[in-house]
Parts: sequence; C-alpha cells; structure tokens
Amino acid sequence: MPDTPAIEVRGVTRLFESRKGFLFREHTRTEALRGVDLAVRSGSIYGLLGPNGAGKTTLVKILSTLLLPTSGSARVLGHDVVEDSEWLRPRIGLVLGGERGLYNRVSARDNLRYFADLYGIPGGEREARIAAVLERVDLLAAADRRVEEFSRGMKQKLHIARGILHRPEVLFLDEPTIGLDPKSARETRKLVRSLVSDGVTILLTTHYMFEAEELCPEIAVLSKGRIVAHDTVAGLRQLVGGDRTLEAEAYGFDDREVDAVRRLPGVSKVVSEEYGPRTRLTLRLRSLQTSPDDVAAALPGHSELSVRERRTSLEDVYLDLVEEEAH
Amino acid sequence: MTTVEVPRISRSRATSASLRLSFLMFMADPQWLIPSMIAPVVFGLVAFELFRGSGPYYLTYAILGAGMMSMWGQTLYGSGWAIGQDREFGTLEPTVQSPTPYVYVVLGRVLWNVISGLIGGGIVYLVVLAAAGSPPAVPDPVGFVVLFVFVMLTLASVGILFSAAWVYTRYSGFIQNVGEFAFYVGTGCMFPVVLLPFWTNPIALIFPPTWALDALRYLAIPGYVGFGWGFWPDIAGAVATTAIYVAIASTVFKRVELHVLSKGDLSDY
Repeated sequence: MPDTPAIEVRGVTRLFESRKGFLFREHTRTEALRGVDLAVRSGSIYGLLGPNGAGKTTLVKILSTLLLPTSGSARVLGHDVVEDSEWLRPRIGLVLGGERGLYNRVSARDNLRYFADLYGIPGGEREARIAAVLERVDLLAAADRRVEEFSRGMKQKLHIARGILHRPEVLFLDEPTIGLDPKSARETRKLVRSLVSDGVTILLTTHYMFEAEELCPEIAVLSKGRIVAHDTVAGLRQLVGGDRTLEAEAYGFDDREVDAVRRLPGVSKVVSEEYGPRTRLTLRLRSLQTSPDDVAAALPGHSELSVRERRTSLEDVYLDLVEEEAH
Repeated sequence: MTTVEVPRISRSRATSASLRLSFLMFMADPQWLIPSMIAPVVFGLVAFELFRGSGPYYLTYAILGAGMMSMWGQTLYGSGWAIGQDREFGTLEPTVQSPTPYVYVVLGRVLWNVISGLIGGGIVYLVVLAAAGSPPAVPDPVGFVVLFVFVMLTLASVGILFSAAWVYTRYSGFIQNVGEFAFYVGTGCMFPVVLLPFWTNPIALIFPPTWALDALRYLAIPGYVGFGWGFWPDIAGAVATTAIYVAIASTVFKRVELHVLSKGDLSDY
C-alpha cells in the first residue's frame, strides 16, 4: 500500500487540566489541540509551523507515544499511537532538543551506549553504530567528553544522534536548529536532508520560515491548536493572496489612499502597519497587472514615498494565517 | 506499508545498561560520597557507642543497626532519587519513549543502589570492627552474608514499588523525606520491631524487610526472640511479601505510565 501515509492524524484533540492551590483549588483547562487532521507521505519531510503555544510539541509528543490524545486518532506507519505504542517505539525517533534530556555528567558515547541498549541494538554492532552517528553529526572527536562540557549546538547534535541511533523509519524533530549558530544550523539542515534521502519520514516543527521553506515540500500552519492551512509553499502563497508582494512606505496614508490601493487590479489584500513616524502598506497581488509605478501613481503627494516589490515569503504567509486566526 | 525488522529488546541488557549508567553517574558526582562512604562511618561509630555493653552480641546489633541504616537510605532513597534525577535532567521522556519498559530501567537503578548499599554495609562492618578491636561472633558467617544480600533485595522490592510514585509525581523527594524515618523504624532496621508497641507490628509486617531483618537476627544472634514464629516462617514471609511487591510494581508501572502519558507531565520538574 504505497499510498498509505506514514503519519495520519484525524480529529486529534488534547486537553490539559491542572490544579493549583491547597485550600482554594484552582482548576484550569487548556485546549492544546482542537481537532487536528494531518497526513504525511512516507519518505517525505513535512513542516509544522506555528507560534509558541500553538500545539506543535503536543502533537509531536502524541505522535511519538509520549502523550495520549484526549480524542481522535493518530496512526504512524499504519499503527495506532495509543494501542500499538510498543510496536511503534523501536521504529520511531524523537528529537526534542534543548539543554535538557541528556546525562550531562557522562560522555556523549556513554549516553548513546545507554540508549543503544534500551533500543536493543545488537551488542556486536553497538560501538560501530555509535561511532557512525557521532561522525554523521560531527561529534566523533568529542565522543568521550562529558556532555556538561558541550556547547548548546553540540548538545543539539547529540540529541539528533540519539534520535537516529536506532535507525527509525519516522523521525520527529521538534525545532532541531533552535539556538544553533548559523553554521551548525546549516549542517543540521544538511543532515535532515540526508536522512530523507535515506528514506526516513520526517515531521519537523520549526519557528524558522526559511528553514521550513528550504526543507519542507509540504507545510502545515498550526495556530491555537488548529491546522489553519496545509499545502506546498506555493499553494500557501496563493492561499494568502498571491506570489507577489508590494510594499509602499511614507509618512502616513489616509483611508482614501488605502482604499485607492485596494482597488488596484489583482490586489487581494492590503495591510497597514506603523513604523515610528512612517507607515507601510503591504499589498498581496494575485497577478502581474499592478506594478510598483501603479501603486506610486495611486499614492500621489508623498515626496518621500518608496515602493518596492518582492516575492511573498513564507513568513508573510505564516503571519497572515496566524493573524487571521487570532482575529 | 512495509517496515524494517527491529531488534528484540533484551530486558536483562536494558537493566544492566541502567545499572552501568547509575554507576557512571555515581562515579562522576562527588556528592554521592557523603551518603555512600562518609555516612556509614558515622553510623557505625554511633551504633557502636549506642549498643556497647548491652549484651554479648552487641557488636552484631551495632553492625546490623548501622548497616541497615546506611543501606536503607542508599537503596530506598537512592532509588527514588534516581527517578527524580531523570525528571531533573529531562531524560525521563526519552527513556520512557524507548521500547524498554521503564520498570527495567528502574530495576537497574535499584540494583546499583543495592550494590552501593552493600558497600556502605561493608564500611560499617569495618568501622565497628576497628572500634571494637575484634570481629563479632556470628555463628554462620556464610549464611549471614547470603541473608544480608537477601535483606537488600527485599529493600530493593520496596524501592521499585515506591519508584512508581516517583515517576508519578514530581514531589517524590518530599514524600521520601517524610516517610524515610518512619519506614526505617517501622521495619526494624535499628532495633527489632517487637520492641515497638504491638499495634505497629501488623503494619510493619506489610514491608518485606521487616521479615528478612527478623530472620537475619535469628541467624546472627543466638537466643534472639523476635516474632514468635522463628527463622523459616520469617524467610517465607520475606519471600512472599517481596514477590507481592514485585508483582504489584510491574502492574503499577504500567498504570503509572498510562497515567503520566495521559497527564503529560513527564518533562516537569
């Protein structure tokens, strides 16, 4: 069944309940996920974008069997994450990253030896496998150093090494490059691409738009526990009003001028933002009919006016979608 | 959908990996020297002075009392702390997410604590020996050592069961501190339970070490009268309660895992 998605999520919700206080108990309920549907093709890399608190990590934890959904169903490699967690755990990898999650007082190699044994990697293969993953993440030279001596980037690489040590078929990467310097982040992205070429299915959450654009053919935007859009980057651009973006800046525009710009051919959306004394109008365009000169003509009387054209970025798409959801 | 073959999980290998990691963490952290090396010296000297002149077998009483005090803390407290440490390090999530059932990871931690507890017991023995200038008279030294190790295993069974609570809650350290002394006295670590008010005896018998310690005193101290039923019923009681604790622990761990997955606080500390 080649068309069966490697990851399939249907109507997943997750409610967190917490109580605090002793005499006067305060009960809070947070809906982290509100009916999420998602499908990720086998052997592909799928990006999950969303602001802090959108529910990305919650979804990743549910898919990696670390959290039970409140309702709905999630299947990975065709198996239910709740019912078949024992079957799934050796076949999936999880990289949560950050400063925590490692045994800091022992070496990188000993961290990996421990997890190799928990994953049942054959004893005869263990050392070679550890050396191979450490080399792949460029940590072989530091293999016998205590993890507490590692930089943030080195710890992140060790997290990734642990996540791929048992050769998972599906890998969940939760913000794998957060806090990394540009060089390490680039190396990590290169590693992610090489994993995909090895046939690993990857679900990647990230805050970095360029990273998602560079790595993920398909992207879902998660906001307030809901998938607000999912498509290719090109599809998402069309969804928010077009591939082209024009920006006009001056010392203030009145409502009549904004309306004039909005009526130009092909303009699907106009957003006005204040930048100190200046105002920026951002125009999303679905066609080539309107040029920067047309916009300048629609905004007469601004000697200091500047108009420039650029391609609609994934960041524009993301901000549009998240802001729409917020309103 | 086709999937690759995955290696079979060996529970004994996972347990030994956990034991090895505990050893490495112990060696890497100087703070453990205090409970494992220095405290037994203090316990041994205090117990020696406390029991001195109290009878012909005071040395045995001193060694048993101080030895158990040292090992009790090491085994039970250490087991609880091991889980708390996983929470602190943020390693509870990746460990629970691995295919090895968490109870085997806990078992490895507890076994290491048993070993370090035995080292503490050995230090107590040497300290009391040095203070007294002569070894205690033990009728059956080999049986004593074997039973000593068995007492540690009964302690470990309590440690495993209690560890479930440490996975469940991030307040494990607090609960441990509150309960430690009561359990220590209640199971007869320092002095026989029969010396306590009678109403405490049935409660004490819930704990496997109570039975095992009573048996150990029967073996080591001629003329000892603990629970009236004697040595072998004590052994039978210890084996039965230990088996019950291990059986409950394996069930409880599954339920606890389900609960924490439902609650979603494995990464909280």
